Amino acid sequence: MKSLLLLSGLGVGAMVAELINIKRFLFPLVCLGLIATIGVSIYDWNTDIHLFNNMLRLDNFALLFTASLSLITLLWLIGAKKYIETETSISDKYALTMFTLLGAFIMVSYNNFTMLFIGIEILSISLYVLAGSKKNDLFSNEAALKYFLMGSFATGFLLFGIALIYGVTGSFHIDVVGEYCRANAGNIPTMFVAAIVLIIVGLAFKVSAAPFHFWAPDVYTGSPTMVASFMITVVKTAAIVAFLRLFFAAFGYIPGTWQAIISVITVLTMYIGNVTAVFQQNVKRMLAYSGVAHAGYLLIALVALTNLSGGAIFYYTLVYSIATLMAFHILYIVSDNKNEGVGFEAFNGLAKRNPLMALGITVSMLSLAGIPPLAGFFGKYYVFTAALEAGRYKLVILAVIASLISVYYYFKIIIAAYYHKSNKAPIELSPAHRFLYIASIFLLLFLALAPDFLIRWAK
Amino acid sequence: MTLYIFYFLSFLAVLSAFMVVYSKNPVHSVLYLIVTFFSIAGHYILLNAQFLAAVHIIVYAGAIMVLFLYVIMMFNLNKEAEPHKDAYIKLAATIAGGIFMIVLIGSLKGVEHIENLNTPNQSAGLIKNLGNVLYRDYMLPFEMASILFLSAMVGAVFLGKNELK
Repeated sequence: MKSLLLLSGLGVGAMVAELINIKRFLFPLVCLGLIATIGVSIYDWNTDIHLFNNMLRLDNFALLFTASLSLITLLWLIGAKKYIETETSISDKYALTMFTLLGAFIMVSYNNFTMLFIGIEILSISLYVLAGSKKNDLFSNEAALKYFLMGSFATGFLLFGIALIYGVTGSFHIDVVGEYCRANAGNIPTMFVAAIVLIIVGLAFKVSAAPFHFWAPDVYTGSPTMVASFMITVVKTAAIVAFLRLFFAAFGYIPGTWQAIISVITVLTMYIGNVTAVFQQNVKRMLAYSGVAHAGYLLIALVALTNLSGGAIFYYTLVYSIATLMAFHILYIVSDNKNEGVGFEAFNGLAKRNPLMALGITVSMLSLAGIPPLAGFFGKYYVFTAALEAGRYKLVILAVIASLISVYYYFKIIIAAYYHKSNKAPIELSPAHRFLYIASIFLLLFLALAPDFLIRWAK
Repeated sequence: MTLYIFYFLSFLAVLSAFMVVYSKNPVHSVLYLIVTFFSIAGHYILLNAQFLAAVHIIVYAGAIMVLFLYVIMMFNLNKEAEPHKDAYIKLAATIAGGIFMIVLIGSLKGVEHIENLNTPNQSAGLIKNLGNVLYRDYMLPFEMASILFLSAMVGAVFLGKNELK
């Protein structure tokens, strides 16, 4: 309840800031609000509140992800402050960001299909606009339009699925649907299966899982770099959690109907993402495909659906988001405000131009590739452990091979940063950005020390 | 009697929906779309949901259609402007759409055993019940929808605003 009010209040407050002329204080205000949201989530720990006739359920799982999404947004804001405040409509961008986060909050704590739909729509509509927030840039316009058309189409599928589920069970409540699944596990009507397939289509679009990933590279490449980094982290986290909540509470009782479908989607996502990323010359596009591949790893935990899945996804999304945010931010600085992205040569000689950034991109790439001392490795480790617990050996073997492929393209950037020369001037970092990099590197190393400590929370 | 009206409305809805897709002239498409909306509103009345039918006609056949016509008017769309589509894309679309149709038809198998579908609540669509449900059970989604519209409005103003430099 408190996070709901805080986040909607921040969104509306950011809009009003334009009127009463406190735009200068907006950044500290929003940061404070996000910290308060994290604090409130910790305060509400272990309470399991059901809000408004069971529309939202703030259990520990929801609180954990609310806190982690707020933390990711906070880190993002520190990096994106420059982008948000360079052009006009500062307060609008803050407001839309907060509304996006509100949508994400609803998606991680919903307990009713109507809330799921409204959460997805609040998140998506704000993002359609943010994707097109560079109004004079043709790529940004294209990204916004493409995202909008494809996103609306996918939401249509989701709604169709929800309607069919209502037809069968007579309720929008996830618990009631779950009860129905448990009671009728033996003879699920065909209509219900069709509904599950349609809902999977709608949600797989949002996590950009293959074969519904075609929008992702174009949209991420076209939209402003900072917005793309927000989309690829916060949206992916919220969507996979929405997936997980639904399957834990309802469809988990009838694994026979969807497990084969999700397994195929998982393998396709991992391989299409990783193999296509190898051939990309544009770093932003490569990171977009790597985002698709990571959606595949996350889906493995969904296929397994054991007690470990929630914790594994929490840890994975947190680590993945921190690493991706840092990579995108370094890309943003290296590419000199060029929106459509740059090739690998932009990273040439980064170690000489700014050692901290070179270290940052190295840690981030190693973490994304899942190289042992870093947190990314433990993220993959726990996801694979969850799958092994459920006996999905083939899936894990395929995933390990896929992540070996990914090492190739992640190392291309590191090699460019350390072994290639460039005669460009050194880069000066502002204290905030230096703090951002140091904090991210620290988190990626620190989280690797205590993965069990974090995962225990999500149980 | 109701059954015959149902069949007639369904036939009309599907036929006009086909015509929306097939007519070359965008203005004709829009007009057929209005017919589709009206026949769906007829279905709502058959289900005893008068309020929904009225809102459907006002919002879809009224507001959204006007919006469509404005867009057509502003972009000056006509037969010549219709882009030529690739044969492969057409083939892929046909296959995908056909498979989707098979899934939906297949999903109808065994619906006669689903209790909820066979015992509909006849008074569910009456305005009094709708108000009760909307403001009591579905209070939160109803209120959150206002945030949704707010964000859409902020977005529209943000994108449509003329930058003064």
